[in-house]
Amino acid sequence: MTKIAQAVKREKMAGKPSEKNVEKPVEKNLEKPSEMPSGKEEVKPAAEKVIDTTRSAVPFDTANIPGPKMARAVMPAVPGKMLARAKRPLLIVGSEVHDTDVLARAVAIGKTGIQIAAVGNAYTSLGDKGLDVHYINMHALASYLCDPNWKGLDGKGGYDLVVFFGITYYYVSQAISALKNFSNIKVISIDKYYHPNADMSFGNLKDDVFIAALDEVIKELPKR
Amino acid sequence: MQDLIYQMKVKKGSFVIEGLENVQINIGKITAEEEQVVEGPTPRPEIISLRNWDYRLLDRYNPVYTPTSDMCDYCTYGKCDLTGNKEGACGIDLEGQSARQALMTSVMGAACHSAHGRHLLHYLIKKYGEDHPIDVGPSNLKAPLTETIMGIQPQTIGDFLPVLEYVEEQLTQLLAAANTGQEGSSRDFESKALHAGMLDLLGMEVADIIQISCMGLPKSDEKTPMAEIGMGILDPKKPVVICVGHNIAAPAYILDYMDKNGQFDKIEIAGLCCTAQDMTRYNRNAKIIGSMSKELKYIRSGIPDVLVTDEQCVRADILKEAKKLHIPVIATNEKITYGLPDRSNDSVDEIIDDLVSGKQDGALLLDLEKVGELIPKLAMKIGPIRKAKGLTALPNEEDFKKLVAKCTKCLQCTRDCPQSLPIGDAMAAAAGGDLVPFEILHDKCVGCGRCDFSCPVDIPVLNVIEKAAQRVIREEKGKMRIGRGQIGDPEIREEGRNLVLGTTPGVLAFVGCGNYPDGTKDVYDIVEEMIQRSYIIISSGCAAMDIGMYKDKEGKTLYERYPGRFIKGNLLNTGSCVSNAHIAATTIKVASIFAGRKTKGNWEEIADYVLNRIGAVGIAWGAYSQKAFAIATGCNRLGIPVVAGPHGTKYRRAFIGKPYRKDDWNVLDGRDGSVVNVEPAPEHLMITAETKEELMPLLAKMCFRPSDNSLGRAIKLTHYIELSEKYLKKMPDDWHVYVRSEQDIPVAKREPLMKLLEERGWKIDWEKKKITEGPLRKVDVSFQPTNVPRLCKEVKK
Ligand code: SF4
Ligand code: SF4
Repeated sequence: MTKIAQAVKREKMAGKPSEKNVEKPVEKNLEKPSEMPSGKEEVKPAAEKVIDTTRSAVPFDTANIPGPKMARAVMPAVPGKMLARAKRPLLIVGSEVHDTDVLARAVAIGKTGIQIAAVGNAYTSLGDKGLDVHYINMHALASYLCDPNWKGLDGKGGYDLVVFFGITYYYVSQAISALKNFSNIKVISIDKYYHPNADMSFGNLKDDVFIAALDEVIKELPKR
Repeated sequence: MQDLIYQMKVKKGSFVIEGLENVQINIGKITAEEEQVVEGPTPRPEIISLRNWDYRLLDRYNPVYTPTSDMCDYCTYGKCDLTGNKEGACGIDLEGQSARQALMTSVMGAACHSAHGRHLLHYLIKKYGEDHPIDVGPSNLKAPLTETIMGIQPQTIGDFLPVLEYVEEQLTQLLAAANTGQEGSSRDFESKALHAGMLDLLGMEVADIIQISCMGLPKSDEKTPMAEIGMGILDPKKPVVICVGHNIAAPAYILDYMDKNGQFDKIEIAGLCCTAQDMTRYNRNAKIIGSMSKELKYIRSGIPDVLVTDEQCVRADILKEAKKLHIPVIATNEKITYGLPDRSNDSVDEIIDDLVSGKQDGALLLDLEKVGELIPKLAMKIGPIRKAKGLTALPNEEDFKKLVAKCTKCLQCTRDCPQSLPIGDAMAAAAGGDLVPFEILHDKCVGCGRCDFSCPVDIPVLNVIEKAAQRVIREEKGKMRIGRGQIGDPEIREEGRNLVLGTTPGVLAFVGCGNYPDGTKDVYDIVEEMIQRSYIIISSGCAAMDIGMYKDKEGKTLYERYPGRFIKGNLLNTGSCVSNAHIAATTIKVASIFAGRKTKGNWEEIADYVLNRIGAVGIAWGAYSQKAFAIATGCNRLGIPVVAGPHGTKYRRAFIGKPYRKDDWNVLDGRDGSVVNVEPAPEHLMITAETKEELMPLLAKMCFRPSDNSLGRAIKLTHYIELSEKYLKKMPDDWHVYVRSEQDIPVAKREPLMKLLEERGWKIDWEKKKITEGPLRKVDVSFQPTNVPRLCKEVKK
């Protein structure tokens, strides 16, 4: 891990202004702005009227303030488009995926061909849905994702984007703090909570807004 | 090479030599008759003596850091932003800082247990003398950790003096390494953290052995009686004394006084947290309320009339909370004094008057004899007064209704709650007369009181929960088999072989605190599932208490259903937090008694044996404290993997193996030094799981060891597959990795599983029903797996 961490450090620091002083540190982290829509401005006004996922962008667990770099709050179209464009995205869902409405959205994303990592006990609800779904331990997954040589859950290669929802809040928050600090992988939370350790996140959402936001994400994904 | 240590141990005293009558010789210590042979290369290991072993572990089980803060504010250069593994002003990066945190946490925990041991040793030497013999039950290997680490075999409690001196010296060195401008390598920070963890095990062993030896606690007794446990067990009409913490010294005096004066039918006395464990070991009349999670809840109930604190796991607000209900707090240990006046030199009656009148909220009382006399007297006096006033923090029916109606469902309490509990929903249900959501919530609530500070409309949330849950609280009455102490040598002789060959699927050690992710009941459920599968369940501390909190349909607790011998399908309680040492030490006993491995000063060889051959796993499902982290880290250095609950990610460091990196799983064959690529066993050294459903198959998997014979492997594989199918609804993806031959496959499922292997590309000779191609390696009954080259008979080039 030392070598990996050093490589990450070099890469993250190379040619970048001091992150201490930037006002929107997360945007600085977007290495490919052309490929990665930058937020509200890209979202259709109609959708914006219906739901706004950038409100209440404060850590859901009040004291979960990791440091100067916290996730940029985004509208659903952003992760939607990024998922659609990613070469090898991974959706992670956990023990809070079982609710019928939430599960239906996980299945819908899986049906577009995006691979799913079912952490915790999520597999019990996803295993029989005909998806590319794999059980893995979240803590181990965080460790493997930090390893550039890891070949992924199916051995076919690493991931360029990680998106997640439906995982115990503090648990996934801790797990992705490893990715934030020791990997180059882009991490987006599309959970109903604001996740400061992700690169991008929704704010804290009411249940109905959360479901509507997931639908907005799904709308952006290519149909199979 | 073997070292010889000539131990010079002498009884204290003075003597005069014949002919030299004017010369008097004073001796602090007398020489010992016996010569002790150190058998391994590292007696009294210094900070780096075991670094090579640590590196072997760290290279396979890479530290995984999950910082809670991306900053460092240890020195005045900072705060430094280390996000993305940047360096701070002193040059440390986030990885280094995270490893430094691991070291600090481990040192803190080790210091806590060792200081506890030191306090007890002072007190017991004063009372019984240095020459009081060690007596832990039917064992030749009386102090396995002491032998393995120090290279000595202690005979008397005085022999532990140099042991604690060693621990204290090492801990000072380790703490020094954490200062800014000292260690900078994360790998070496981790090696030091492992060292601290090992010292923690040693400190705990000293503490428990001396109290077992001097205070008459059970000695390797598999049939200890049951103790009552739960928030509903005490008669609140009687004066109630509650002792909180971990150190038996003060409660022992109280129990003795009550015994002498026949007061057990007049006064209720119980403990919270590990003090409770040791009180029941000391005197069968003592009872147990529960873990630290019950502390605030029980105080707020108003039932306690006197609170006695010693050390560890005592809430920082205990005095403040007690004061509101006019419950005097008597602090009996220098480490926790709350700014209370030191009344050690005052008369018992004077102190009682001041406390009963409310002139003082509590007292610091370091004269334990006085504590023993004062507490029962105080309880008898203040009890009736408090009860007449009906003091409780819980609202009455009318106020309860008003309070729940006030809730605006703003979610602020949920956001502050470490368990993210749906309090607003429960408030709404209660407003409609339905208390069930609150009753469910009560079990999941860890009683931290954070929610009280969040509510914008000033609802005392925890009090409301507790009021709503009164029905279930009254029924909270369980049974726990009293802490037995060590596992005796005869039990090891009987079971060691089954463990090493794998025919007992594993030893699961349930340890740690009550910070469970989804309620106390989970621990019961997990233990019930695993014990029915013949795992040996050993427990200690708060986990041991919580296991006894629930009953089956016939009204029986798990302790009543399963016996307490160290054999498969049994449920053991070793005792309090410091009794954790015996769980770790059991693996040393197996290595020594079953396999004849030398112990004295021979940590690396023993740990290597444990890692490769003993399917023991620690489960700290509700661990919260630095002590629990230190215990886990110590177990890791001894080759015992640990799984924590999801809150364990907030420890910020795990040791996770990468099964896809094949070379990480090379071991040597001790017979000739040849390299053998083995299955990832154990796959991790420290990891967390999100839910109990995920935990159970993971535990089964973590019990695989390279040394399993085919029968043992088939048994372990059966449980791994069945638990995964039962709780995750799937065949494990990696089950085949653990198959070395058709003999490793459970007989009942052999054919269908072999078909699955064929689908994976393995070659099967169906006529002979044999696997001809596919496994990583063959079963070899004489295989001597080791990670230490010097332990190989003949090292292959
Ligand atoms: S006391 Fe219970 S409900 Fe309140 S914040 Fe703590 S765990 Fe949550
Ligand atoms: S903080 Fe108070 S008002 Fe808000 S949901 Fe909790 S109990 Fe209700």
